Amino acid sequence: MADVVVKGISKYFGEHRVISDLDLDVKSGEFVTLLGPSGCGKTTLLRMIAGLEKIDKGDLFVGGKRYNDVPAQHRSVAMVFQSYALFPHMSVYDNVGFGLKIKKVGREQIKQKIAWALSMLNLDGLGDRFPKEISGGQRQRVALARALVLDPDVLLLDEPLSNLDTTLRDKAMEELKRIHGQVGKTIIYVSHNQVEAMTMSDRIALLNAGCLEQYDTPRMVYDEPRTLFSASFIGSPVMNVFNGQIEHEDDMMGVSTPIGFFIFDKETALRTQSIAGSEVIIGVRPQNIARADHYAARRYSDTMVMVTVELVQSLGDRSLVVGRGENETIIRFLVTREDDIRPGQQLPVFIDGRKIHLFDPLRQTNMLSK
Amino acid sequence: MDKPHKGLPVDSLKYYVWLSALLIAVFMVISPLYLLIKYAVSDSSSINTGGSPIPLWPYHPTVRTFLYLFSDRQFYSVIINSICIALGTVFLSMILGVPAAYVLARYRLPGRKLIVLGLISVRLFPDISSIIPIAEFFIRLNLHNTYAGVILAHTLLALPYVIFIGMSAFETIPGDLEQQATVMGANRFQIFYSILLPLAIPGLAAAALYTFLLSWDEFIFSYFLLGLGKISTLTLYLKQKLTYSPPQNLLATISVCLSLPVIMFSLLLQKYMTAGITSGSVK
Repeated sequence: MADVVVKGISKYFGEHRVISDLDLDVKSGEFVTLLGPSGCGKTTLLRMIAGLEKIDKGDLFVGGKRYNDVPAQHRSVAMVFQSYALFPHMSVYDNVGFGLKIKKVGREQIKQKIAWALSMLNLDGLGDRFPKEISGGQRQRVALARALVLDPDVLLLDEPLSNLDTTLRDKAMEELKRIHGQVGKTIIYVSHNQVEAMTMSDRIALLNAGCLEQYDTPRMVYDEPRTLFSASFIGSPVMNVFNGQIEHEDDMMGVSTPIGFFIFDKETALRTQSIAGSEVIIGVRPQNIARADHYAARRYSDTMVMVTVELVQSLGDRSLVVGRGENETIIRFLVTREDDIRPGQQLPVFIDGRKIHLFDPLRQTNMLSK
Repeated sequence: MDKPHKGLPVDSLKYYVWLSALLIAVFMVISPLYLLIKYAVSDSSSINTGGSPIPLWPYHPTVRTFLYLFSDRQFYSVIINSICIALGTVFLSMILGVPAAYVLARYRLPGRKLIVLGLISVRLFPDISSIIPIAEFFIRLNLHNTYAGVILAHTLLALPYVIFIGMSAFETIPGDLEQQATVMGANRFQIFYSILLPLAIPGLAAAALYTFLLSWDEFIFSYFLLGLGKISTLTLYLKQKLTYSPPQNLLATISVCLSLPVIMFSLLLQKYMTAGITSGSVK
């Protein structure tokens, strides 16, 4: 077990800078997900930690030791590739034992460790099979067993679940979390899937265009997105975004938008007093917009908006409604599936003033975060 | 709706054209083979017919020429020479070609394209024109009339193929496997030995077989370097017999002996070639 410290790391592919001046610290035993859209540099960062990619600028420390010039084969890290990279000509047993053999571990010890790893991942009895003879889920577990058996300080996982179907993925997520609890290894996990990041991580490092957008617990990333990018990347369905201006209206503090004046709750009102009059970008999650007659008691900070329904998409337990408010502004919100809502219908909805996010239109940062 | 039936006559005409073209092609390939085998098992009365037409199949098929050939001690030594030279060529070409193929397939070498072009340049010229400078060079090095010389010459011919087949064999192996092994602590040599080589075996086996065949039925280089000296190969033996205008059945028998391994190995090769192509598809 060891902590990982990334200090001001940059990476260039030719002229193109894929990672710029990035700082990240991962505590010993922590499960951190590098989350971001494709091309954001998350896999490159992981490969730099593994030693497969040169660090152009900055420093990397693992367990207090500077790792920049340590070649990959001497680093105490293990990695699971997206493709699993199982050796097709070796049995499951030999795949798992490969690293131990290279490290010249004694034969008896190898046997014990492989047995431990195989049983840890419910692979007992599959030792003699070859990679092509086992299922996708089993391959993924073999790849994980092969990494764990080396007892690395840090475990690097590059989208290990992206080749699995949804049911298997859910199971694999549970299993990964269980294993993390059992072995307590420092895990750095790369994903573009926010569900994986949200369910498993202790902290999420959200990357965009080679920069760290936010580094927080999953809850904080969701509740207090630091940037407009965080806000729109995390959360499903995607957040509603409007342009507006902070204003006073009838003694109420709020923000005027193309679809009406949204009233702030007391706390937000207090904190925005000094910036009254500023242009802002307003973000409201679909989860914080509700059908009017579903609110038992209206709060003063709820704003009613009339919506013309355009599209209803079933999400199973709920439905996503896409509609238009005033000035043809698109607005997305969720209803229960019992609500019989059809396109063309006019519908009053409430916007929860306590859950409004305000972003600086220039710097795209959250104006309310502490 | 069914397709309109008016297309049928055209289709069947097309079918007959294709069929007859195919039959002609098969006939062109088969007839020399048929003649070869026919002569090899002919008795002399079926060859020297004294004016009457030569029969389609010998009157009294016989294996006497085979028996004669196999009782000839020179024939044995010639076959052993050919095998030794072919195996030597395979050995040398693989030793030189496989690492070269690996490097060319896996490293971003400066001037990689130029090196590849240089490799095939030997094969850009007809053998008969490249043998002149090579023979002169080899004679100066006293490599003519030696096993080493002819093996070296055959290696020169085989190396481009070994490198090309080897390169494609290494290229089909996903790079992830190497990187995975690196992260697991393996060095370059261990990766080559325990990951890449076993996975490239089908492709490399094909290259080895091809090299064997190339050396086995090579004539021009052997002829210039060995002449009709002490060391003789099967192809030179055939040429030597030709000079004394021997009966056709003896020539045909030698040819059959020469062709048999080629046909056998080609069938094997086909299987390995296919295996080589699919070996990289394992995910």
